[in-house]
Amino acid sequence: MKCNFCEHKCDLTKGKSFCGMYKDEGGKVAELYPDKWCTYSPSRIESVPFYHAYPGSRSMIIGTAGCNFRCKYCSNSFIACQDPADVQDVMFEFSGEKLVTMAKKLGCHNIIFNVNEPAVSLPSLMRVSEYAKKEGIPMGCLTNGYTTEESTLMLAEIFSFVHVGLKGFSNAFYKKYVGVNSIDPILRNIYTLSRHCHIEIASPVIENVNDHELTEIAEFICDINPEIPWHVFRLLPEHDMKESKYPDIEKMNKALESARTYLPYIYFHNFVGSNWVNTLCPKCGAVVIKRFSLGCSGDRLDEFLAPGNVCSSCGTKIAMLGTKVGWCEKREKECV
Amino acid sequence: MSLAIIDARQWQNRFDLESGQQMEKSNPVADMVSTVLSWNPYPGDVDEKANEWVTRTALDLVDQYEPNLVCLSYVQQFFAHRHFAHSKADWEKMCVNAMAEAQKFIEISGYTPVIVGTGGMISLKGAMDLSGIDGLAISSNWSARYCGVHQPSKDDMALIHKFMAEGKIERIVTKEEWIDLFKSEQPDIQIHQDEALMPDYLVVSNEGYTFKTMGTTLRKPVNIPENNFKVPVYTGLGKLDDLRGIKPLVRSNLIHHKIALILVEGVGKEFFPKDHSMCRNGCGWFCNEPGDSFYLTLSTGKHEPFAYPAGYRSFDRDAEITKFPFSGYMLSVPENTLALDYSGKSIAVGNRSMFMHMMFGVDISVECFARNLFNQGCLGVVHRMDKYGM
Ligand code: SF4
Repeated sequence: MKCNFCEHKCDLTKGKSFCGMYKDEGGKVAELYPDKWCTYSPSRIESVPFYHAYPGSRSMIIGTAGCNFRCKYCSNSFIACQDPADVQDVMFEFSGEKLVTMAKKLGCHNIIFNVNEPAVSLPSLMRVSEYAKKEGIPMGCLTNGYTTEESTLMLAEIFSFVHVGLKGFSNAFYKKYVGVNSIDPILRNIYTLSRHCHIEIASPVIENVNDHELTEIAEFICDINPEIPWHVFRLLPEHDMKESKYPDIEKMNKALESARTYLPYIYFHNFVGSNWVNTLCPKCGAVVIKRFSLGCSGDRLDEFLAPGNVCSSCGTKIAMLGTKVGWCEKREKECV
Repeated sequence: MSLAIIDARQWQNRFDLESGQQMEKSNPVADMVSTVLSWNPYPGDVDEKANEWVTRTALDLVDQYEPNLVCLSYVQQFFAHRHFAHSKADWEKMCVNAMAEAQKFIEISGYTPVIVGTGGMISLKGAMDLSGIDGLAISSNWSARYCGVHQPSKDDMALIHKFMAEGKIERIVTKEEWIDLFKSEQPDIQIHQDEALMPDYLVVSNEGYTFKTMGTTLRKPVNIPENNFKVPVYTGLGKLDDLRGIKPLVRSNLIHHKIALILVEGVGKEFFPKDHSMCRNGCGWFCNEPGDSFYLTLSTGKHEPFAYPAGYRSFDRDAEITKFPFSGYMLSVPENTLALDYSGKSIAVGNRSMFMHMMFGVDISVECFARNLFNQGCLGVVHRMDKYGM
């Protein structure tokens, strides 16, 4: 009995699975902890960070427990890398319907799954999406992209906007720092997702480890669609890499210079006060969206200067899912 | 105009503190703070060296700026004990070390100390889950005792009363009763936020219990503050019996003394010198937890539970107002703080994030820029450029 939710394809009859979130139940894959969430809190969409979807909107952030990766630098290891059985006492229990009701109660425009990997909780997320769709609440997520072809399509069915982590560009990097043997499924899935939903891509950069792969990543993104926003994250040394050096900001930024000539939406952040979080018009270079970076404590929209998603200087269309949403817009319209 | 200098390790950037606009301008006091920041990378909130960082950075600033008033916060032991279990011996050692760092600063610098403990901590006995109520329950990352409940249904109140019957909840008070409690002692008490966003009820837990609601941290607390209605204060400057007496005591003695006001969080009286006094912390059934109301009471000499009230629907404020982006949930520089109108020089250093630049009204502050234990570097703030070189 194999789980087909990610490329580990764990045999569930052989004890605990890699992520610890599924079991074999009469020949079917079943969730061990359905409808259990580690958080539900309102946050700015930029803090996730989605930069090109519903700017300024209020998102309800959710997550579960467990992960199918073991990134050495995981910043959520206290929830993602623990045995899910050990953290159940901190979880909240909400049915899909109740979670959507909560999003409405909190005046949220959308729901974003971003603490751990959605592949480990797909049936619960399916149930949430059923109600979210009824209520017209869009859903987004962060994923490491290690899903199977079938479950990638499930992701695309649940989520209309997806942030995919492309953590390096070699099998060697993925093997050593993430714990999986091949990057191929991730590249395949990025392509698939780009055809079904709005995507943004995030790559953590570790000096002298994967910074030489940045150009290959940029070229790969460009081949799919140069308008895909690419977030390059300065590594925040955490978990097993706590003792690592903080990457040199100027040097890493220089390494992105050539990619900026063919990818118009490159952002370099995950550190406080970054100078590289504004959106510039791809044609005339005017600032069309101003943001403020607070590093991993969350970015925020400062000014949206592209009404109708169009550069007010030259009229060029800015790639965007939806358009600016006021922080209190949803609440004023729908909530008590 | 206040200048914020971000140090993200080997890289700095300057901003206007209030607007968040980037500032390129160089000036001697900003350059001095930049240098001190570059000498002292922050080890991290729960790192054993985090308190030593406070002492070292403060001594560097004292050398460069020669202030009359120094405000320090030592918080590593509080963060570490909140999130991780320690044996009794290890916890005692952490408290002893925190007090030793304060002592080290005093010995090297020669300042006259006023040392304040926020009181001891206790193992978490349990968390009451109010997440599923019909109304909305809100507690905060750093509050254990208080939870705000908005628009509760009959069933919600029945659930809260059930917890009360189980001995986990001490009291349920209406918003009006909460405000009246403070008005009875301080008729001019200010409610700085939109009163309509305050909870209809404040639910107060019994010691050792906390809440599971929106706003509580993903990192489960292991130890939480005791109900510290009295906290230890050590000073040779005069007798004190209320936290509110610290501001007038410090201000009146600054004429003759260089003073260091030092907060040591999570530490109770057993770690203080024998001749400490116990000071009242709060009003009636309300004791300040280590947090904004504690710092503001200390710094303003007034009760300030409603600056950022517990259970407040802060997310319903207009988040598009992006003032003070580096100051977390704080929206403005508080009034009447300890050094705001002091003509001498003052600094604050500590590992209590934005409290250092917001709570004391000092000329210059240096603080950790860590959120939820993620170490992102340091922040230096220069509120007053004019006093440098005086
Ligand atoms: S989702 Fe979990 S159980 Fe399923 S294959 Fe992946 S790691 Fe294994």
